[in-house]
Amino acid sequence: MTAIELRGVTKEFPGVTAVEDLDITVKEGEVYGFLGPNGAGKSTTINMLLDLVRPTEGTVTVLGRDAGEESVAIRQRTGVLPDGFSVYDRLSGRKHVEFAIESKGADADPETLLDRVGILDDADRKAGDYSKGMRQRLVLAMALVGEPDLLVLDEPSSGLDPAGAKDMREIVRAEADRGATVFFSSHVLGQVEAVCDRVGIMRQGELVAEDSIDGLREAVGGGETLEIDVDAATDEGIDAVRALDGVTDVARAGGSAGADAAGADTLVVSCVGGVKTAVIGALEDAGVTVRDFHTREASLEDLFLAYTEGDAPTRRESDETSETAGGSPESADESPESADESPESTDEVDA
Amino acid sequence: MSLVAVANKDFQDTVRSRGMVILVALFSLLVSLFAYLVRPQGDAQQFATELLLSQLVGPVLVTGLIPLVGIVVGYNAVSGERDSGSLKLLLSLPHSRADVVFGKVIGRGAALALAVLAGFLLPALVLIVVPVTFNAGSFLGYTVFAAVLGVVFVAIAVGCSAAMATQQRALIAGIAVYAVFVLLWGLLTGQVVDALDGVIAALPLSIEQVRTFLDVANPTTGIEELANGFLGGQLFTGERVNQQISAAAMLVFWTLAPPLLGLLKFDRDDL
Repeated sequence: MTAIELRGVTKEFPGVTAVEDLDITVKEGEVYGFLGPNGAGKSTTINMLLDLVRPTEGTVTVLGRDAGEESVAIRQRTGVLPDGFSVYDRLSGRKHVEFAIESKGADADPETLLDRVGILDDADRKAGDYSKGMRQRLVLAMALVGEPDLLVLDEPSSGLDPAGAKDMREIVRAEADRGATVFFSSHVLGQVEAVCDRVGIMRQGELVAEDSIDGLREAVGGGETLEIDVDAATDEGIDAVRALDGVTDVARAGGSAGADAAGADTLVVSCVGGVKTAVIGALEDAGVTVRDFHTREASLEDLFLAYTEGDAPTRRESDETSETAGGSPESADESPESADESPESTDEVDA
Repeated sequence: MSLVAVANKDFQDTVRSRGMVILVALFSLLVSLFAYLVRPQGDAQQFATELLLSQLVGPVLVTGLIPLVGIVVGYNAVSGERDSGSLKLLLSLPHSRADVVFGKVIGRGAALALAVLAGFLLPALVLIVVPVTFNAGSFLGYTVFAAVLGVVFVAIAVGCSAAMATQQRALIAGIAVYAVFVLLWGLLTGQVVDALDGVIAALPLSIEQVRTFLDVANPTTGIEELANGFLGGQLFTGERVNQQISAAAMLVFWTLAPPLLGLLKFDRDDL
């Protein structure tokens, strides 16, 4: 059985199409990461699963039931951590969990749940006095009530510190091990990479990619990028590297001329994995002195940006491995950056 | 049971609000003040319970203030949660939108009824212990009518709240409800009767019957009708029984119709 099935789903709000012709299938027991920048249509999609928003066209089926017709039955077996919620300020954390238990007619112990999300000590404080992270944990505890078959988590890590985000991932994994299907959205990739069986990437209301993490990485190319600091990037050196097998592109990092008093240049080499020794060798044979170099694997971040901004993979500082070439590097940590190689993600306004 | 869960949650949330304490204090203070004004003079041992209720508590507290309080308690029931985002929490759980609207009528109605009872009965306790004859039965019964009127206005306000997409519009609707039922009812119904003169003439009813019905159709007048019948020992008996039945029926109508209409709109909305 499929846990979630969207077929040809379109949602139009006055003046804007939030989701367009969306097809998604999430199998039972799967952990599905739903990615995309703000405003891509993630929350609208999640709201349609919960019948908070009705699709303009198409069908939404959750746990084998129509999302519009049988929403209460769906929510009976679903745990939800919504985005942009607020708690009942005057009620304690314990009261919140008790309300969820009463609402689901579940046989659960509030203390066990509060302990599991790490706020048992604050159980009797008013939820209005909780921090953002504690509220997030509280609502997660409410979502876990009654061992739901499906967990829908909208930006679950927002407001959590790194330890909180780690707890969240562990709970997601434990719930998946129990057999629950987990559908969660994020605009932060680190959380998705670690726990998801499969990811879908939304962009401007459409699903632009859907695969396993490895599959997506492969699809984007999955090569390496070498960033090499040299004394002078001569044309001969560049030609020699370009001639090597496995090298797809060589470029001078823009704007570096005169930027360094020592006259150093930076070369950016795109290549398949495992050719860096040949690249260094070719440069040195051409009389170019290599001072330092860095290798970068295509990270999921690159992938994400490639899909959401529609460019070739762009490089980011994440996932960087710094290695030191032979010789005596004076500035191993220094990696000159030029303006055009640090792409800024364009923030879209949330619909 | 989902309706009970929502009602219980809302009751607990409402009775914890600072406004509830203020309400109880305000009612207590006003009832005490009025009781002081009609205290037995000289040697009289008879405390004028009926005078207290029909001359002071009735016109000032019940028909003026209680509708206002009911609207204040109810107008943000749904729209407030919609604005703040706690409605997402509520509708993440297995509640239908009907459970939400009627659960709130019940939960907030119960909270307001509790405030009315507490606010009226605290000063009455003093009257019971002082050495005068105080008609406790009349007073208690009258308090129940006052609480019922509060619940009716909570229901009307929750209905408006469910229909309005924002807190601001719900507030405007609440003010309009107060204006129509408390300030302008006679004027408006008079206009309606005049405008429909021809239509009414065709019906087997006299203009006077229509006017009487429209009069008791207002929940505040309806409650007064019933409460006075109760104080006079003529509830659902005697010559005004028709008016009383109309009044009771209209109170039921005002408790159910606005939340139902609000639900119709709320049920179709994207949240």
